[in-house]
Amino acid sequence: MSRRNYGTVLKLALALLLASGVARAETIERPQHVPEDAEQVTVGAPYLNMHTGPGRGYPIFHVAEHGETIWLLKRRTDWVKVTTRRDKSGWIRVAELDEIYGIDGEQVAVPLPDFSDIEQQHFHLGFSYGDFDGADSMGVNLGYRFTANLSAELRATQAVGAYSDSQTYQLAVIHQPFPRWKFSPYFMLGTGLNITSPNATIVATEDREDTAMLTGFGIKTYLSRRFALRAEVANHYLLTSRENNQEIVEWKLGFDVYL
Amino acid sequence: METRFRCIPLIAGLALSAATPSVFAQSEDDVLGDIISPDIERREIREAQIDSENIEITAYLGGVMNVEDFGSNTLYGGALAYHINEDLFMEAGYGQTELGESSFERLSGSAPLLTDDQRQLSFYNLSLGWNLFPGETFIFDDWALNSSLYLIGGVGNTDFADEDHFTYNVGAGVRVLANDWLSVRLDVRDHIFEHEIFGEVQNTNNLSAQLGVAVFF
Repeated sequence: MSRRNYGTVLKLALALLLASGVARAETIERPQHVPEDAEQVTVGAPYLNMHTGPGRGYPIFHVAEHGETIWLLKRRTDWVKVTTRRDKSGWIRVAELDEIYGIDGEQVAVPLPDFSDIEQQHFHLGFSYGDFDGADSMGVNLGYRFTANLSAELRATQAVGAYSDSQTYQLAVIHQPFPRWKFSPYFMLGTGLNITSPNATIVATEDREDTAMLTGFGIKTYLSRRFALRAEVANHYLLTSRENNQEIVEWKLGFDVYL
Repeated sequence: METRFRCIPLIAGLALSAATPSVFAQSEDDVLGDIISPDIERREIREAQIDSENIEITAYLGGVMNVEDFGSNTLYGGALAYHINEDLFMEAGYGQTELGESSFERLSGSAPLLTDDQRQLSFYNLSLGWNLFPGETFIFDDWALNSSLYLIGGVGNTDFADEDHFTYNVGAGVRVLANDWLSVRLDVRDHIFEHEIFGEVQNTNNLSAQLGVAVFF
């Protein structure tokens, strides 16, 4: 091998070394403890308090500085878990993360769902307790808001009474004429199935399954961003196979949660 | 007010540059133009791509339920919770146990009141929980674990002796988190319902205590 060839090899080796050096610098960008899918952001606020847990009761143990790079790991309720380059992991309140910037300098927002944002389509889930024609009832409902005024809801209720137990399954359309009011009234139209099982100890009859029409109205009020209370009265009109159709009045008190 | 004060030097600078154009070179004019020209481009805002872990699934590893007059027996079950915010969570729970012999059956020596099938008790409930005391639990010097004490209550249904019984439940529990997604829960509940197995309507308080392991996802 000539001296010139040695030179070339040396240069090549140097280039490789440099390249590996650059590669190493890139891996340092995302430290090993940070998962690949974590979002990298830069702190724009003067500082961010990091708590040991996702709640105000957990102490602040670290502070992320202005200009520091942090990685967003996951979210629980209104808190985001972040980690720093030095492997300090803690929870930051979403409301405080209003000034963070992505890799390209764009502002990154962590959305805070809010019932008052009525134009936003969203799901809501609720539990309720009520009186179903004298029987105690419990219910669960899953709704979807299409427009500011219109939502649809799947509802299931179980009522336990002295003489009979009932289960109802319904699909209802809900219209809120004044969605911006603090106490917002709503009207409801729906249809579904009522299953009535008389208590065996009193009368030995079979379970009845009737199609039911549902009309009702209620009032909804938002206690916090994601929590709403509602009260309603509904009329179930049971299309029975017997001589007369049956009407059942149901009163309900419950809550809805923005998903 | 503050913005107005900030504007004063800017306006003064503008006036100066306009009044003495010969003093400043063309390039310096551009620098000033860069500074004072409004940033008309809208700032881009992007939503962060992060996973939410608000759902908690609990399996009761060990539990005991006392049904008034029917003794205490092992309870099996679980719960599915959705955490609304740091304070509140909504939970659907399920459990099943077996009824023992009532004291009446044991003392009188007569035929049993219930068949084996009727002694199978199952319940489900919908509850709302309130994380009343969030904080840390210290295990000697080495460990500080996040924990919270919560109050919980709701309504549900208890099914035994071929009957459904509307049930109110109230209770309290402690959740200790081993890490972000794994926790241990100890929960004590009073299940309140009426039954008329002994001939007349009787309001009963039935206590259950269950130790569970919960996973957030």
